[in-house]
Amino acid sequence: MTGGLDGPAPEERPTPAGRRTAQGIRVDPEVEAEHEPRRTVISTLVEHEPGVLSDVSGLFSRRQFNIESLTVGPTDDEGRARITLVVEEPDPGIEQIKKQLRKLVPVVSVRELEPDAMRRELALVKVNAMRPDQVAAVAEMYGATTVDASPETATVEITGSDQKIDAAIEAFSQFGIREISRTGTTALARGTTDTARETPPEESAQQTNPQQPHADDD
Amino acid sequence: MDSDPMVALTGQVARDFVGNDAFQETDTTGVTTPVTKDNTFASDPDTVGSDVSEAFALAREGRPGPTLVDLPKDVSNADTDCEPDEPKVPDTYEVQERADPEIVEQAARRIENSSKPALLLGGGVIKGEASEACREFAIEHEIPVITTMPGIGSFPEDHELSMEMAGMHGTGYANMAVTHCDTLIGIGTRFDDRLTGGIETFAPDAELIHVDIDPAEISKNIHADYPLIGDAETVVTQLAEEIETSPQATKWRAQCQQWKSDYSMAYDAPEDRPIQPEFVVEALDEATSDRAIVTTGVGQHQMWACQYWTYTEPRTWVSSHGLGAMGYGLPSAIGARIAADDDQEVVCIDGDGSFLMTLQGLSVAVRENLDITVVVLNNEYIGMVRQWQDAFFEGRHSASEYNWMPEFDKLAEAFGARGFRIDEYDEVADTIEEALSYDGPSVIDAHIDPQANVYPMVPSGGDNGQFALAEDQL
Repeated sequence: MTGGLDGPAPEERPTPAGRRTAQGIRVDPEVEAEHEPRRTVISTLVEHEPGVLSDVSGLFSRRQFNIESLTVGPTDDEGRARITLVVEEPDPGIEQIKKQLRKLVPVVSVRELEPDAMRRELALVKVNAMRPDQVAAVAEMYGATTVDASPETATVEITGSDQKIDAAIEAFSQFGIREISRTGTTALARGTTDTARETPPEESAQQTNPQQPHADDD
Repeated sequence: MDSDPMVALTGQVARDFVGNDAFQETDTTGVTTPVTKDNTFASDPDTVGSDVSEAFALAREGRPGPTLVDLPKDVSNADTDCEPDEPKVPDTYEVQERADPEIVEQAARRIENSSKPALLLGGGVIKGEASEACREFAIEHEIPVITTMPGIGSFPEDHELSMEMAGMHGTGYANMAVTHCDTLIGIGTRFDDRLTGGIETFAPDAELIHVDIDPAEISKNIHADYPLIGDAETVVTQLAEEIETSPQATKWRAQCQQWKSDYSMAYDAPEDRPIQPEFVVEALDEATSDRAIVTTGVGQHQMWACQYWTYTEPRTWVSSHGLGAMGYGLPSAIGARIAADDDQEVVCIDGDGSFLMTLQGLSVAVRENLDITVVVLNNEYIGMVRQWQDAFFEGRHSASEYNWMPEFDKLAEAFGARGFRIDEYDEVADTIEEALSYDGPSVIDAHIDPQANVYPMVPSGGDNGQFALAEDQL
């Protein structure tokens, strides 16, 4: 073979002292930070138009982000829908998810919610109703409502955090669960904190933080 | 990935048939979503004009990229009284032009106190028309300049401060500089793996100042210590205004010059072997002006065209960087010829494998009488694949040997273009001269050393500072 060049061989060259982690972060020998995945809720306000849901879900599969659940629904503005995502990634991955979402043209606003945000999920659980009294007792324990009953089945509706629903399903399993349908988490920020909303025009004109191209400083 | 502004208008079956698997129906917006910046299905004759306007605006605004409008047959054939809107991006699309002044200030302090600074100029410098601002900045503060492959031409390669291209087949001196710098100012680059090699060993001692218009590029691959989101020219100007004293880096610059001589790109051209490809690239560079535009396919010839042509002007290097699409050379030469000034030569340096993929474009070049010169560095191999098979797979050549390659000079003549062939060193200069002076498309089939390989080389995921200068170092 030809094409070789002259010069000091690799082992004759000086090498730098430092290195980076696989996430591209320069390792400071004093504080070597390893990023563990964490679970968080990201709320996005999007234009209510065809294709936007596939844009968002396609982004997650294409870039191999871990997604736990995705819910979508209309808002008070008929031109806007809200997509709520529960994701599990290390911090740099969560940052990257937010940036990639913001890059999508139909995405209006993106925000990661605080851990104390209100998160709710709804589940419909259809169980065998051989022991209707006991089913009713368990339902009452979890604040569930019976929404359908037949001689053989009872369907209950449970609302709450995903842990509460997991626990309820565990309790109902003693009767024999026929089918389950869960919605995935939807969420809103507490108090006066905004979840992810549109910037009124006057606010966007005098935006103070130039680091954020969208008005969703988080 | 290459951030090229491009608008695709695609034909679709009539609206009534959409979703029925009609003849020639494809879910075009569906299949192009991952590879477009934005796409639209034009569903209404009254708004189709505005859809197209918006596609043009979006393709160019912010980080450029391809957009697409899918046009159902009945929509494009319909009549309407509606005028399209002026091209403008939707309200949800915002672009930040100026970087946060506080971070600019911190970055400026870092540059002032750096003893081993380096600039890394990417394709965004050229797309953002920031080449001039970056040149002034580098020369004013005497900071060595490395480029990525798309950044070629942003800084003159014949300048003392130029270290040329870094990465897998970058120069040894660029890779030494990027590995050993203490402050890296990356502008308009997405830190592609062909540039960084292994992340763990990329510029491991450097604090990174990263300038990019796309916030999603910041800290995607390499963590940015100073994230500067904004337009390249604007942010470089902000930095230039903020810096009060140039970094004290005399020793570092001397070290960089030393590396330039230690790892010189000088190659052997023994008389008893077939023509070396580097010689052909240098002869072409010699025979053309500084403003000549070079386009390439993908593979070994592309790397030789990077390494052995001295680029001094932005927008003179046209290649497929991120996707590495073979066959890119001739179609992009046709496009470049139409866009270029009359006094700019357009030269396509191609490989035999790449040329074979799209050479039917010669019929367009002949039809439009486009003055382009294609030089095929013909080694009858898919050479880069063969080089990897030799280096990493014990020389087991699979689908890389093409000893039935057509005679490209005769093929060119068959299309109505001029065809030439080179086998010997003493034919090179004269043949190039003759092909360049022909006013129309010409093809030179240059038979080069089939065993020639591209060096230096950083193996995939390897340490840039440990680049191999020959196969036995891999």
